[in-house]
Amino acid sequence: MTNRLVLLFAGVLLAFPLFAGAAPEEPDEIPTVRLSHSWTGAEGELFEPVLAAAEEELGISITTTVLRHEDLVTLLPTQWRAERSPADVMAMRPGLAAEGAQQGHLVSVTDRIDPDDFVPGAAEVTVVNGERYNVPYIQKTKPGFWYRRSFAEEHGLVIPETWDEFMTLLENLDQLDGMDAPIASGNGDGWPLTDVVEHFLIAFGGPEMHVGLREGEISWTSDAVREVFAERIVPLLEEGYFGEPTEWTTALERWWAGDYGIYFMGSWITGMVEDPEDLGVFMLPGTEAVVSHVDSWYVSDYAENRDAALELAEWLATEGQRIHVQQGGATATYVEISPDIYPPAEQRIAEATAGLEPLVDLDDAIGGEFQSTFWGELQLLWVRPGQLDEILETIEEDAP
Amino acid sequence: MYSRKYATAAAFILPALILIFAIDLYPAIRTLILSLYTPEGVFDPVANWGAVLSDRKMLNFRSWEPPYGAIIHNLIWIVIHLPTTVILGLLLAVLFRRVKGKAVVQSIIFIGMVIPMVVGGLIMSFMFDRSIGVVGIAARLFGTPAQNPLRYPDTAIYALAFGSVWLWTGFSLILHSAALSTIPQDYYDQARVDGASAPRMFFQITIPLLASITRVVIVMTVIWELKIFGIVFAATGGGPGNATNVLALQMYDYAFRQFNFNYGAVVTTILLIMVLIVSIPMVRRSISE
Repeated sequence: MTNRLVLLFAGVLLAFPLFAGAAPEEPDEIPTVRLSHSWTGAEGELFEPVLAAAEEELGISITTTVLRHEDLVTLLPTQWRAERSPADVMAMRPGLAAEGAQQGHLVSVTDRIDPDDFVPGAAEVTVVNGERYNVPYIQKTKPGFWYRRSFAEEHGLVIPETWDEFMTLLENLDQLDGMDAPIASGNGDGWPLTDVVEHFLIAFGGPEMHVGLREGEISWTSDAVREVFAERIVPLLEEGYFGEPTEWTTALERWWAGDYGIYFMGSWITGMVEDPEDLGVFMLPGTEAVVSHVDSWYVSDYAENRDAALELAEWLATEGQRIHVQQGGATATYVEISPDIYPPAEQRIAEATAGLEPLVDLDDAIGGEFQSTFWGELQLLWVRPGQLDEILETIEEDAP
Repeated sequence: MYSRKYATAAAFILPALILIFAIDLYPAIRTLILSLYTPEGVFDPVANWGAVLSDRKMLNFRSWEPPYGAIIHNLIWIVIHLPTTVILGLLLAVLFRRVKGKAVVQSIIFIGMVIPMVVGGLIMSFMFDRSIGVVGIAARLFGTPAQNPLRYPDTAIYALAFGSVWLWTGFSLILHSAALSTIPQDYYDQARVDGASAPRMFFQITIPLLASITRVVIVMTVIWELKIFGIVFAATGGGPGNATNVLALQMYDYAFRQFNFNYGAVVTTILLIMVLIVSIPMVRRSISE
């Protein structure tokens, strides 16, 4: 009896594939794309509706990982050597991406992304051997010095249109009771200081100085560059117009509370202050260009579903951006998106930067040893402005 | 009979040996070999080591002012942090020996040990902030102009080394407390009968009987100080102007910012040599004892 039962069970098992073959076909498996980005907290929340819409419209499943730049720089080189990647579509800094592109770990998007569909320069953040690798996404500009409109009104402060007026503004701010320093100096690893320095270089050396330094065509110790530092930045540091470097989010809170008068920061602060409507921004007089940080996507050469990954990256660059910028915190690089859909604070940024030449962030573009040296040396300049020449020499040693 | 005994012993030892070889020895040997090649792949140990040791971020003798370079910064860290944590831990252990509820106090001090070092570094960066930090507030209470010492090259490395004492004192405290409990009370009773003073008992009974555990604390503390990374990374990033750069951070910088694994391997090997110099005598002594 037992033997018969065993035979019957074995027969059913053997026959099962035959019946299974006759069964109606299973629907195709939904392709899964692994995506990594660096946004957390409020920034991460703004991205969630974008991902949900992407899954619905593209019929794919997206698994998301948060990988900060600090994680990627240790993770990617080792994974690349093993011909792997932690995600199929990744956000990363241009310096690291250029390294990956050079070594053949990223997919070229030259034939898929038309630079004319995006604001100038946005699709050319990572160009290696004539091939473009970045798929442009939202951008965060660094438009200038932020101030609270209510604060300026209360103290009768005038927004400067000349260098002399700028100095007058700083003098007036310095004399206000309870003012720690006229200009807040944000600190992290040192990156917020590089943003304000880049703004001075663009304002007084022109966009060509910024580009020349990035490309290694101009020396940091040249007379022209030294002049910008010696005549514009160092005097402000020596006068104590820049505050002591303070962790940048703490500096933001203190600036908002009135401990500082103005604060040079990127457009992301619109999502970090209590009342974005109260924000005003001005540039140094004569500024003809603005540094924008274009968040870009890169498609891994090791993506399992490469077509789906490329399709997702392209969708993010177009429709995805639309959903993202409607919520605020950034502006679009895709030219088909009208600024009318931005919240008021972002509309003001768009107006303020309209017609200005967009430039990529200097130290982000160079990356590597230069970036950490630049950050560290500017931290030193902020507290030892008298060591300017030595500091410029050190920066030059690691410059391209 | 013996062969079976050895086979059983080998079966138990082999997995551990395989793991030690795969996780410790092989990477160490590979790192050592990598350090002998230039980034271009040429076998030239002198050039590769020379390039790293002549880098101002490693050693800087241009002036008497900071930065001195990562190697000197690590040594400064050891000179300040080692005696402070070891002595403080020992004194606290002796002080709390007969205190009721000492476990609670010791646990509070031990919190520093369980905090990730990156978090410790972040706490320190806020601790020294001149407006919101406890050090800045204390300075203002005493009428001293508050200044964040982490922002100035001549004070930053000292602020980090002193500021991190609370993170490691718990280690010295716990080990010394455990060792103190093994000293028989009779020794102290006898000494008291002989008229010995408290300081004399401390120096002639406590210190000698704690010597072996103090050696362990010293070696472990030096190793901790040599591989310090998270605190510096989070608090200063090695700045301002490399004034707080340390070996582990420089290794990270070479390997993961510059993607120069050959230079990174040289720094790793320097660290390995320094750790061996400290730990080999202790291991030899432990074996002889």
